[in-house]
Amino acid sequence: MRAPVEPPPLLGRRLVLVTGKGGTGKSTLAAALASAAVDRGLRVLVAELGRDSVLPRLLALHPPRADYPEREIRPGLFAIRIDPFEALAEYLGLEIGMRGLARRLLANRGFRQLLEAAPGWRELIELGKVWHLEQMREGGRPRFDLIVVDAPATGHGLSFLDVPRVVISAVRAGPLRHHTEQVEALLHDAARTLVLPVSLAEELPARETCALVARVRELGLPVDRVVVNGLRARPVSTSLGDLAALLERVPRDAAAGLPAPSVLAACVRAQSERHALGEHYRREIAERTGLPIVPLPYLPDGIRGPQDIAALAESVLAEPRAEAA
Amino acid sequence: MSATGGAGANDDLFARRILVCVGCGGVGKTTVAAAIALEAARSGRRALVITIDPARRLADALGLAALGDEPAALPPERLAQAGVPEGASLSAAMLDQKRTFDGLVERLAPDRVTRERILSNPIYQHVSDALAGSVEYSAMERVYELSQRPDFDSIVVDTPPAQHALDFLEAPQRLIEFLDSRLVHLLIHPALSAGRLGARWFQRGTQLGLRAIERLTGMGFLEDLSEFLLAFEGMAGGFRQRAERVRALLRGGNAGFVLVAGPERESVAQAQEFLARLESFEVELRGVVANRVRLWPGGGEPPDAEPRSEDVDALARALATVAPQGYPAEAAARAAVACAAGYAALVRRDARALHALHQRAVAGGRRFWRAVPELPQDVGDLTTLARVGALVAGRQETV
Repeated sequence: MRAPVEPPPLLGRRLVLVTGKGGTGKSTLAAALASAAVDRGLRVLVAELGRDSVLPRLLALHPPRADYPEREIRPGLFAIRIDPFEALAEYLGLEIGMRGLARRLLANRGFRQLLEAAPGWRELIELGKVWHLEQMREGGRPRFDLIVVDAPATGHGLSFLDVPRVVISAVRAGPLRHHTEQVEALLHDAARTLVLPVSLAEELPARETCALVARVRELGLPVDRVVVNGLRARPVSTSLGDLAALLERVPRDAAAGLPAPSVLAACVRAQSERHALGEHYRREIAERTGLPIVPLPYLPDGIRGPQDIAALAESVLAEPRAEAA
Repeated sequence: MSATGGAGANDDLFARRILVCVGCGGVGKTTVAAAIALEAARSGRRALVITIDPARRLADALGLAALGDEPAALPPERLAQAGVPEGASLSAAMLDQKRTFDGLVERLAPDRVTRERILSNPIYQHVSDALAGSVEYSAMERVYELSQRPDFDSIVVDTPPAQHALDFLEAPQRLIEFLDSRLVHLLIHPALSAGRLGARWFQRGTQLGLRAIERLTGMGFLEDLSEFLLAFEGMAGGFRQRAERVRALLRGGNAGFVLVAGPERESVAQAQEFLARLESFEVELRGVVANRVRLWPGGGEPPDAEPRSEDVDALARALATVAPQGYPAEAAARAAVACAAGYAALVRRDARALHALHQRAVAGGRRFWRAVPELPQDVGDLTTLARVGALVAGRQETV
């Protein structure tokens, strides 16, 4: 056994779990990472959990919908929406040879209702499916070099990653326990897995991200960087000093064709303050997590399609920057 | 800053005693809820804001740091500074949803033994997060409870962030359906149900399924589950009754909804979805607050003409006269103009992004539309909160 060395680079992992507070850009980051990996010749699978599928539209111009099982949406790039009921039917089929029965059972309204209400199994079966996909081999090598999971929003994301541990503690014996242990082993293996938190440089997301990182560490899961999304560029070079204050001292009619100096000042001030606020929270995340930061720029129009994702892809792979203390 | 207009505009906003703020996460819903409550207090009412997870600065502004479940009044002298007249008040409560749900179980459990059995059941430990939106439901349950007290003229509710954020409206119904489901009965009374259930196939299939689950999990899980459901069953009636009352409260003449949206693409799209779903729920949507919108300083439309170079030169000369010796006035003038052009583009972008939502929100003429500008800082004091509140109430045109 080799001594533990530097963790592998981002694309050296098999499984990247993108997580963060809702609205921070999880899907954007997952898509950008997948796009960058495909461009480097890797076979990539993006996996979505939950009811909605957005990743294929971010990655290809006229993609098929992500569905179950996975389908190729671009050469070398596959997408799947892990439907827990489908995954459960598949699992029951593989495990106890009852696929047909399992399907009928899962089509039963009463049984579905019970499952809708039952806690934990969804997360477990979704993670189990991810493990299954990681294990797949084709022509003597892994079927997918990299699996990017667009994990649920943080509130749920934390319990999501904790479910295998809870199941192991609650289920005393049987195949389920054995399988869950394998899932748990994959999640904890820093050589194969990375939890990749994404945050905005705003108060609530920053706070939640710090709590997320603390919890991820408590659970012993690998995390080595935080992506901070939506950072505004510095609007005015520092060499120009307090430009807004100077503009406010300029006579109103100094340049008749331009907006009034007070309006120019307000524009400078608004943008400078937003920039400063972002930098403040970026530093706070770095200090409180002790992790290097991968900055992503603010895109006023959001992500409109694959071209915007491609533009972000390289920034995602950039070596994270340790913040100066 | 000018406070224009009399009482008319906000009397309309507060015509409904309970205002529920909905919207997706990250749009400043909590801030808007607090601002509306403060505005209610400023217009002479005894107001209460029920928040879920306030940002630290907002919590500090509300004095919420040490607060919990029980409404606590803000000190009158702080409120007076923010323009709250004598006799009016503002209280704030922060919901602990898990505790609310526990409290509900405690109240509805028929006896102490059942209560203990439920609260200590390993399934329950996880269930309050997953049982058919019970967490969202318990938030509404608490609102109902507080609304029964005579202490408040106006109650403003911040709703829990959720992926599909109207879950809390559906939660009572889902909870009832679950408790009523034949499967729950089957699990609780396998022998008893055998004769009653007409669908034999269903039963056979289910039992096979349950056996499969047992094989996979070992025995413990199913035992825990059926014990939990058995204990829970006794409370089904109580839940049903209360859920019906919550429903009636939200749809009745005392409650109105305020939709909060941000100008980001996703936020606007989700707001559109919200509008449709609120309509299908037959609740009263009072209006839409577009929060954190970039507005052109001083009002009006931003210019879209390219600046002429002689104007930029003129600005540079003017800057040179007010700046210290050696200041790079030309670079500064170009930077200022570029900065204004950049901001103008953002202002136009936000207006464009919100256009369709605006049209739809005000169609029919019954709902209000308010744009609250993006503020340079997170809201962290009552003065700023009061300005936002006045804007939402339509009492004031600019912050």
